[in-house]
Amino acid sequence: MRAIRLSGLCLCMLMLCLMMGSMAHAQAAAPAAAPAAAAPQPPSSADAELKGAAAKAPSTADLQKGDPGGTLTGTINDVPASDSKAGVTVPDVGNQVGQNKVAINFTWTLVCGFLVMFMQAGFAMVESGLTRVKNANHTYMMNFFVYGCGLLAYWLIGFAIQMGGAAGNANLGGLQPLASEHSLSLFGKTWGIFGGAGMFLSGHTYDVGVMVIFLFEMVFMDTALTIVTGACAERWKFITFSVASVLMGAFTYPIFGNWAWGAGWLSQLGTNLGLGKGYCDFAGSGVVHSVGGITALAVCLIVGPRIGKFNRDGSGNAIIGHDISAVLIGCFILAFGWFGFNPGSTLGASANGNLRIGSIAVNTMLAGCTGTFGAILYMWALKGKPDASMSGNGLLAGLVAITAPSGFVNTVGAAIIGLVAGVLVCLSCAFIENVMKVDDPVGAISVHGTNGLWGVLSVGLFADGTSNYGGSWNGVTGSVTGLFYGDASQLAAQLVGISTLLGFVFTFSFLLNLILEFFIGHRVSAETEIAGLDIPEMGQLGYPEFVFRPEADIFAHAPRDFAVA
Amino acid sequence: MAANTGQGRSFVIFLVGLTVACAGLASFSSGKGKLLLFVGAVILVASLLGFLKLKPLEGKPAQRPGPTAMKLVGAFIALFGWVLTLFGMHLVDSVGGRMVFALVGIAVSLLGLIYVLPAAFNKNAIWKT
Repeated sequence: MRAIRLSGLCLCMLMLCLMMGSMAHAQAAAPAAAPAAAAPQPPSSADAELKGAAAKAPSTADLQKGDPGGTLTGTINDVPASDSKAGVTVPDVGNQVGQNKVAINFTWTLVCGFLVMFMQAGFAMVESGLTRVKNANHTYMMNFFVYGCGLLAYWLIGFAIQMGGAAGNANLGGLQPLASEHSLSLFGKTWGIFGGAGMFLSGHTYDVGVMVIFLFEMVFMDTALTIVTGACAERWKFITFSVASVLMGAFTYPIFGNWAWGAGWLSQLGTNLGLGKGYCDFAGSGVVHSVGGITALAVCLIVGPRIGKFNRDGSGNAIIGHDISAVLIGCFILAFGWFGFNPGSTLGASANGNLRIGSIAVNTMLAGCTGTFGAILYMWALKGKPDASMSGNGLLAGLVAITAPSGFVNTVGAAIIGLVAGVLVCLSCAFIENVMKVDDPVGAISVHGTNGLWGVLSVGLFADGTSNYGGSWNGVTGSVTGLFYGDASQLAAQLVGISTLLGFVFTFSFLLNLILEFFIGHRVSAETEIAGLDIPEMGQLGYPEFVFRPEADIFAHAPRDFAVA
Repeated sequence: MAANTGQGRSFVIFLVGLTVACAGLASFSSGKGKLLLFVGAVILVASLLGFLKLKPLEGKPAQRPGPTAMKLVGAFIALFGWVLTLFGMHLVDSVGGRMVFALVGIAVSLLGLIYVLPAAFNKNAIWKT
């Protein structure tokens, strides 16, 4: 019995030795890269070179001495080997390169998203600065709370509607969990209508790439929401604003966002109907700014003009804002944030033509500059003064207009687009106030609505056909090219986008807010409006130590032409 | 009355209703999902009724009711412009034809937005008196 046990033990030890020997042989011949490889492979020349590089790499002792010149840090030693005994192999290097690409793109997209988030501060300063001191707390609070309202709604359902079918972005690792676009078959073609994956970011969408795109898209959505708060400032009930913002973040913005960016039907105009590369909106002149501006128009119509804005004969009174310094500093914060908005919309800085980020940033800068010039020169030459608030709006108008074309145009095109936007914002402000009799205290409808539409249109005119984001856009091979560079069909796609913004987005927003008007009511009482919204709505003055002048005294010193905001 | 506790409570109920309804939609394929969606919808309706109850207590705004039918006609015209653009894309095959339809659609929508709706809202505007 003992002999049997001994012989069994010896047999086991022999088998163990044989297994260890064969494993050591396999590791030497074909390490971690192909652990399942049946036949051992001879070491390739690339593997040999990698081993040579590893031998030459600085040792731990070298690194302990410090690396003031930065020449020793970041070598093959920093590439993780899947099998420590075999050292770094070609597949290890390949995996590291892939992860580096995605890491660069994640970092770029996240940092740009953080910049866009900071734009909320700029919006808060611009909008509050352009309103009266008695409403400062209320206006700041709307800009503050819209961030939370939008984020919650977008996490619950908005993101799923917008991006739930947007799988396939190689920059961010493919985003494969977002592969649930609900489509409609019409006239023999399939058209994307809304996405389905990503509610609560749970299930398969609990994914690193999805988190990155969620953050980036969320801050864009919040930008659209905060546009409305400015246009309806000084008379919008806080409760109605809160509910309207939740609904806009949940439905209005995501629906159009899906059509343009989330594999929806507008982006398929190129593949389905041969209209250019489909509706092209690089960073959101239409998706973000026009949706915000057009919704602002819808709510402004319902909420009506402020008390004292219009006289009995229909002429307008300029109701001057309380802090022009806040307005101009806010504009600079917004211009800074725009470097996240436009260059960040490549969703990456590595591969697939993403090195165009420099060009996009310069286009953004230039259009803002020429937009400022357009507004200042228009006001100075025609009204006699280089109006400060309109100058700020000129800067923003240029930035709004270049948002859609920034990835597709050259610097000359960008400068022209910005200049036109700067003049357009002045004309649009005057038209909306003097002809439509709509009261927009900050000029949001003109800055974001009118110039958002101009930006969308300008893609169809100025896109120069040199951009190359992976060789195709919206699934159509080639570069986005506008009418001035030989492709009229792109202009047609852009016009369809504009029609959708004016027809669908406006009507949807209008009806949604009309329902809220019935149930909640948009406007504060006349008594509250006259007292200022700070105490009745927020319970606290924005500036408790200020002494208010009588309103009639302010109107007496205000210019009589049109209220520039 | 301005902002008040009733509004705050109704807003909490609204958010709870929306969250429950969304949770129902997220798991709609299951029986539990359908139940959650129904419960969420009921809570949402309850919150809206809560808002409606509070509305008369909040004072009179500086507004007069305008012609509702004219407002709806304005919205319909804006929407019709979009529908015209959509049908135009399928009625004609040429780029020029589609562009013309889109431009006509835009013009029709603008008619509703710029002319009909402001006229409807300004018809009984308080600043006219």
